[in-house]
Amino acid sequence: MKDIYILGIESSCDETSFSIVKNGVEEISTVISTQIDIHKQYGGVVPEIASRAHIKNITFVLDECLSEANMTIDDITAIAVTYGPGLIGSLLVGVECAKTLAYLYKKPLIPVHHIAGHIYANNLVKRLEFPLIALVISGGHTELIYMEKDYSFKKLGSTLDDAVGECYDKVAKVLNIEYPGGPKIDKLASLGKNTYELPIPLNDDSYNFSFSGLKSAVINLVHNEEQRGNLINKENLACSFQDVVIKSLTKKTMKALKDYNVHNLILAGGVAANSGIRNKFTELCEENNINYTFPSIKYATDNAAMIATAGFYAYLDGKRADITLNATSSCELE
Amino acid sequence: MKIFYIDTSSSYLYIAILKEEKCFEIKKKLGSEMSKYALQEIAELFKMANLEPLDIDKIIVVAGPGSYTGIRIGMTFAKIMAYTLKKDIISITSLEAMAYSLDSKKVIVPLIDARRGFVFAGVYENSLNILENQYIKLSDLQEYLTKLNKEYVFVGDSSKFKELKVQEYEPDFLQIINIVKDRAPISPHAIEPEYLKLTEAEENLKGIHYDN
Repeated sequence: MKDIYILGIESSCDETSFSIVKNGVEEISTVISTQIDIHKQYGGVVPEIASRAHIKNITFVLDECLSEANMTIDDITAIAVTYGPGLIGSLLVGVECAKTLAYLYKKPLIPVHHIAGHIYANNLVKRLEFPLIALVISGGHTELIYMEKDYSFKKLGSTLDDAVGECYDKVAKVLNIEYPGGPKIDKLASLGKNTYELPIPLNDDSYNFSFSGLKSAVINLVHNEEQRGNLINKENLACSFQDVVIKSLTKKTMKALKDYNVHNLILAGGVAANSGIRNKFTELCEENNINYTFPSIKYATDNAAMIATAGFYAYLDGKRADITLNATSSCELE
Repeated sequence: MKIFYIDTSSSYLYIAILKEEKCFEIKKKLGSEMSKYALQEIAELFKMANLEPLDIDKIIVVAGPGSYTGIRIGMTFAKIMAYTLKKDIISITSLEAMAYSLDSKKVIVPLIDARRGFVFAGVYENSLNILENQYIKLSDLQEYLTKLNKEYVFVGDSSKFKELKVQEYEPDFLQIINIVKDRAPISPHAIEPEYLKLTEAEENLKGIHYDN
């Protein structure tokens, strides 16, 4: 078979990224321009500022990606782009860029769902084995997905309210930890003990999650302790909080693996970089003879390598868009 | 000389190709469907002109002010086209395009509604910019014009300014292109939108406050 080179484009939130991946497994070059330092001063991503940064960066990032690969658009087989979900203004820059390239160079255009991208970040670590269960955990998503084969997604459950990463950010905020707070809570948790009592949310037999109750419980606990004049032990609270998150995630995921008689698990999304979550899943998978893959830390967060990789399998699956492709802030993975 | 012109800064898509002396153009209201259909219309325009994007010598992109999201649609296309096909590119403001399209001996005041009593506006006399394009309170602009004490005409989207006499904007592509086409091209990397206003979050952070 002739080699297939996919140019991936990702701009759904605060990272502008381009990547070229060969045959869905070999990364040729990836460039990520992150805006974390810009948004830090606002305590979170400001959508209009993110959109402005994307258009400012776009040709620089594309240029660097092509130069690193020592390739031109002519060498590319097809263009893959995140069309949603995400921040609409941000997505539009990437989508317009992809459509323009597809039009100017007469290349196939492949629409990629952001979550499909996160799942396929694992394919760059190890070729996916099916059937599998994917636990997608990020600032915008908490979902359990069943995949029977490549590019086939069946959603088993998802969060009914906040995403797990969003919950980390809000808890970080009440503890006065600078944005983005997730990695810092993970670090604090590793230094603390589980001493605070917090409720396990949605402790039922479904595959769904809920994190807004847990978030409120932490916020209330902090406020009550402050009113009583008690000092919060941040390490211990982070540990107690993270323990509850882990219990909720592992319970539902392990149940799905058992119910569907699946022996392959992958984690996906920014929160998949969390060491506490990784450690617990490693332990449980080894106990239960489950094969597991975690995305490399570098590609747990948003990047175009995962979009180019997912784009390869979408390409093989015949997924195509024409130049009227539009971005959408919310859409189901299918 | 073949020139491609694109303006997506309002609810209208304004695109044109100047091929030798002939001007091919599309003016179409796309509103919130700009991102979906602009490229399809661009493809249509190239067909009309019987040209490929590669045949173009120079790109003129309208950088704003106007709809933030809208501006970025045309600008992404123009930047990517200029960068990948190695074409010359220049940017102009939407206010210039409006001023140059009106054939009048009077002072020309293009204006775009920016809500809460503010407008994006500039003041032009014989195609020269005599009051810098800016985000300005409409009453302050009117005060400036009174002091200027010259005959003037507003140009813009009259439906947005019910209390003013505003000449409806209709781009004269040939006229705009002829006035700006010899400007020196700049790197596609350096071409940026001209929003003329910071985001609210930035204004709050910098303590910038506009009196209503």
